[in-house]
Amino acid sequence: MADTTAKPNDVWAPYAPTKDAPWDLRRAAHLRRRADFAATWEELQRDVQDGPQAAIDRLLAGKARARGVPENFQEVAGVLADTADEPGRLKAWWFYRMLFGPDPLTDRLTLLWHNHFATSIEKVDRAAMRQQNQVLRQHCRAPFGELLRAVLHDPAVLIWLDAPANRKGHPNENLARELMELFTLGIGHYTEKDVKEAARCLTGWAIAENQFREDDARHDAGEKTVLCKTGKWKGDDLVTMLLEHPATSRRLAWRICQAFMGEKAAGETELNGLANGLRQRDLNIGWAVEMVLRSRLFFADVNIGTRVVGPVEFVVSSARMLELFEQPPSTLLLADWSARLGQNLFTPPNVGGWAGGRDWLSTQALIGRGNFAAALVGGKLTRAGEPTDPSALARRHGRGRDLDDLLGFFCELLHGTPPATQWHDRLTKALGAGAKLTPEVARRAAALVLASPEAQLA
Amino acid sequence: MFTRRTFLKATPLIALAPTVPEFLVRTARAATPQADARDLVVIQLDGGNDGINTVVPFADEGYAKHRKTLQINKGQLVKVNDKIGLHPAMADAGKLLEAGRFAIVQGVGYPNPNRSHFESMAIWHTARPDAENRPDAGWLGLGLDDAPKPQGGAPASVYVGPGTLPAALCGRKCIASGLTRPEDFLLAPEADPRPAVPTADGDNLAAFVRRISADAFSAADRMAEIARGKDDSSRYPASELAQHLRLVARMIKAGVGTRVYYARQGGYDTHAGQFGTHFRLLNELSGALKAFIDDLVAAKLGERVAVLAFSEFGRTVKENGSAGTDHGTAGPVLLAGDRVKPGLVGETPILTELDPKHGDLKVGIDFRRVYATVLEGWLGVPAKAALDGTFEPLPLFRT
Repeated sequence: MADTTAKPNDVWAPYAPTKDAPWDLRRAAHLRRRADFAATWEELQRDVQDGPQAAIDRLLAGKARARGVPENFQEVAGVLADTADEPGRLKAWWFYRMLFGPDPLTDRLTLLWHNHFATSIEKVDRAAMRQQNQVLRQHCRAPFGELLRAVLHDPAVLIWLDAPANRKGHPNENLARELMELFTLGIGHYTEKDVKEAARCLTGWAIAENQFREDDARHDAGEKTVLCKTGKWKGDDLVTMLLEHPATSRRLAWRICQAFMGEKAAGETELNGLANGLRQRDLNIGWAVEMVLRSRLFFADVNIGTRVVGPVEFVVSSARMLELFEQPPSTLLLADWSARLGQNLFTPPNVGGWAGGRDWLSTQALIGRGNFAAALVGGKLTRAGEPTDPSALARRHGRGRDLDDLLGFFCELLHGTPPATQWHDRLTKALGAGAKLTPEVARRAAALVLASPEAQLA
Repeated sequence: MFTRRTFLKATPLIALAPTVPEFLVRTARAATPQADARDLVVIQLDGGNDGINTVVPFADEGYAKHRKTLQINKGQLVKVNDKIGLHPAMADAGKLLEAGRFAIVQGVGYPNPNRSHFESMAIWHTARPDAENRPDAGWLGLGLDDAPKPQGGAPASVYVGPGTLPAALCGRKCIASGLTRPEDFLLAPEADPRPAVPTADGDNLAAFVRRISADAFSAADRMAEIARGKDDSSRYPASELAQHLRLVARMIKAGVGTRVYYARQGGYDTHAGQFGTHFRLLNELSGALKAFIDDLVAAKLGERVAVLAFSEFGRTVKENGSAGTDHGTAGPVLLAGDRVKPGLVGETPILTELDPKHGDLKVGIDFRRVYATVLEGWLGVPAKAALDGTFEPLPLFRT
């Protein structure tokens, strides 16, 4: 099935600035909106100055953030996690990491795997969900086999998919099916018989004292035939077979492109090229992520501004762009808002996770994004409740001479370019003819920019 | 409270016409719902409902054979006839049946059942069992594309619930909206981009986002009206589904003009320890259905509404080793409403005569026959294009 002629080095050739694709504010902003949760104005300027290699190096090394990372970040994050005594606090802990942590790419990858192995706190307890998040975080750039085995040998997903109920003579297909359909092969690469046989392989998987355990007494030790191979397979043998199957590398390539590439930016050839490269490198996720981020295709026009921004990204990015570090929004409220916009962390809608893309943009989510932007710039998410001052932010960076320049500044923070004529006209019309640049008008301008259709794409 | 609606009703509109936006004039005109229109409410039971323990064939010897721990005693069932009974949690559905407002279409599915939640749900949404020629629009959306646009800028369909719009509602022209609470549609004035609402043509992503934003803001006005209006129906259970149906009833009673509504109830994927969960779900479903129908009947709008509840598949005939059931094949489709032809439709699946190919229930009725009947017989829109074929209608509605 896989296209063996597509070489990763051809289709994913590295980016170097050219006349048609210069390294500029537009591409710097693009990089940070896809691989970070947006950047501050200073960080963007630094990225432009230092060039693409340095900008990408810093992201990969977890050193991209110049502002907003507290000195005692690790300590505070640890305390927040340890004291998360209810689901809202666990969500708030993750938002704290995304907003203030030094390594946003790791958080984005953790989010990617949370979606891939979509497990919900509706059925799994808080401690197990936190532990799973650690597992995802720790292995987020590892060879996929390490990640997959770590997730499968961790209680959360086993509880979620009823693994302990699956025992000899009493098969429960839940884990077997989702392991094949969602975690590895994808639909169409196995039969119903394979699901039943895979469930037999997985019999005896259990949890004892919060640890994965294989219970031989409950394991069906007989012969099974899975994917046309017959043997006395155990659960881990099944996982090996699934990892070796070419469909798994293809699904991984798709998943990584879903996270980093725009709609239709990576076609069949690109996906197959990435899948082939993954197969040659033990499904090394870190390799694939770096390959994508450094590629010419990543910085090509077809890939810029062609991805729908997800709710978590939208919420965190808005706060970071506006540098709300001194009086930051409550991360409990950020988590709440993200849920209202359709992405409730630790509570994916079902085993398939969030579909993403155009599906993020429901009627209520679009109106909700506007309301979030208004609440954020209005200071309604902070303890003090004091309105923010986006015009002071612009002035600090030598911008906001007048209303036009202020609108330009906000749009450049988002996309690295001034607003197109149509967008500019809509914004000024909505602000009212002859509006003077007061702090209140500046806030309204910031909210309007963030609520615009244009701001939902990156 | 003096709402915008009551204000408009009380004020001669002619005098205000030059200053009142057009959509508000239309809102006021549409404020009384018509009893002779036809609305549809679809309830999606997510996860694969165990049809065998919903509509129980207790007289079938296969029932006791395949259901050991999950077997329900004949005496506890809500009697439908001398062979079939509803789950004991469905007393309210039983009352609807007694009142002639409840029907069960038995053994509904499609050829070559797919046991993936996502594939099977996609099949029910698009009415296309073949993944190859599946459009990115659904059976209701395509059907509503051929219906007149609702007056007053109302969306053609409304999904009440969290998350993504169901694919079934997506069409090529008609507008679908989603909401969880009416308050979700009140837009903060700071973020309100009007009067400059963007519009766009074309199929690329940027045009799509501009178009859907414009739709969102115009739908918001109608829903905001509902949010501000008063709600006089209090006899709904507290369950999420009941509250969502209550909101649907509010929209219908307010004369919004939307004809298709959609709600979801999750949790039917009962692989382990099924009994308690399934009991609660069916209890919520049947309680919500009864409250909804009673509400509309009391408002003299009972004749205009039909409810259809479906799930992506039934569950295995034989229970698994963990007092649950795995993904199966055919299942019942439930209908409720004043004009529903009450009782059982179709053959009861026989638990001792399973399909030799997959070892589960045979499919008696193709789900597209149910859809065709609902589209043409109830909503009065052509079914052929929406379903990609012609399907024989079923006797589901009283004329």
